[in-house]
Amino acid sequence: MKQKKLKIVKPTLREKERYMAFQIISEEDEEFTYSDLESAIWNTMLDFLGEEGMSKTSVWLLKDCWDQKNQIGILKCNNKSVQEVVASLGLIDRLGDNRITFKILKISGTIKSIKSSTSKNG
Amino acid sequence: MNFYDFHVHSEFSEGESSIEEIAKRAKLLGYKGICFTTYLDNKNKIKKTKEITSKLSKKIGIEIFTGFQARNTSELDRLIKLRREYDVLLVKGSDLLLNRKAVQTKEVDILTHPEYNRKDSGFNHVMAELAAENNVAIEVNFREVLNSSKNTRANIMHKIKNNVELCKKYRAPVIICSGAVTHWQLRDPKVLISMGCLLGLELNEAKKSVSETPENIIKMIKERQNRKWIRPGVKVIG
Repeated sequence: MKQKKLKIVKPTLREKERYMAFQIISEEDEEFTYSDLESAIWNTMLDFLGEEGMSKTSVWLLKDCWDQKNQIGILKCNNKSVQEVVASLGLIDRLGDNRITFKILKISGTIKSIKSSTSKNG
Repeated sequence: MNFYDFHVHSEFSEGESSIEEIAKRAKLLGYKGICFTTYLDNKNKIKKTKEITSKLSKKIGIEIFTGFQARNTSELDRLIKLRREYDVLLVKGSDLLLNRKAVQTKEVDILTHPEYNRKDSGFNHVMAELAAENNVAIEVNFREVLNSSKNTRANIMHKIKNNVELCKKYRAPVIICSGAVTHWQLRDPKVLISMGCLLGLELNEAKKSVSETPENIIKMIKERQNRKWIRPGVKVIG
């Protein structure tokens, strides 16, 4: 049986989103995969914010936008939890055995403008 | 907006990275200036660090300041006497008497982590009032949060939140620094601002604490380097 599609929520009732572009600075320009990064972000944020705090952030690492060569990615969250997400990124100091630092390139409300800024950096 | 990190340790003090590595990383992260903090072992150290930092500052294109951190009252007295010869005077918080002396002294720029290694927050309303009066910035140290975890991190953040609340109430300046001992511990200014917000500052106050508060300290540095300056509040006119 064909499943019924969920009716789309009105734009005014939808959660406001923020996209943040970041770059990973690592030792000897190590290349990290999407899954490495995703697990590091989730583990750190769960430790720092807790499960309840994490549920408020609606954080998501966009898979299609992960540029493994330049180590640039885009993280999506809601507009009320930007500070929590950015502070949590700052608390990630290791990925595996490598020391890393996050550089926040841009925070924006639309994916279009964030993509144009990352293409300039890349 | 110009961002500054006024508490960074290099290999000259307790740090692990060289001054060049740290300066390059700070430039990459978008800082306009940083202050290397060291301890006063002998008088020659001031000249030596100034020479190295001025060369690097031109080479890398970032403002570099030299800061000396007092670990006890006798060291603080020695540093006050030599106040004209270096840029920033920091006091290593933790001892209650030293915290009190730091906020009472006009020559002091920053009281670093007053809650360090303490069960209480090491800072009260009397000190907050004095800090506001004498324009001594109270530091929020990011390294303390970064290097701790679980219950220790929760306790440290609780103490910092208390101190920030007091500073807000008495309008004492707050400064957010990375307190980095390696270039890997330097953080993006946006990360420091966000941490400030989580620790009880409003967004504009958090932004001020990484740009306006350091800029005010830089103004004081320039004033102090003027020949007419004698001591805080006293200068030659005409």
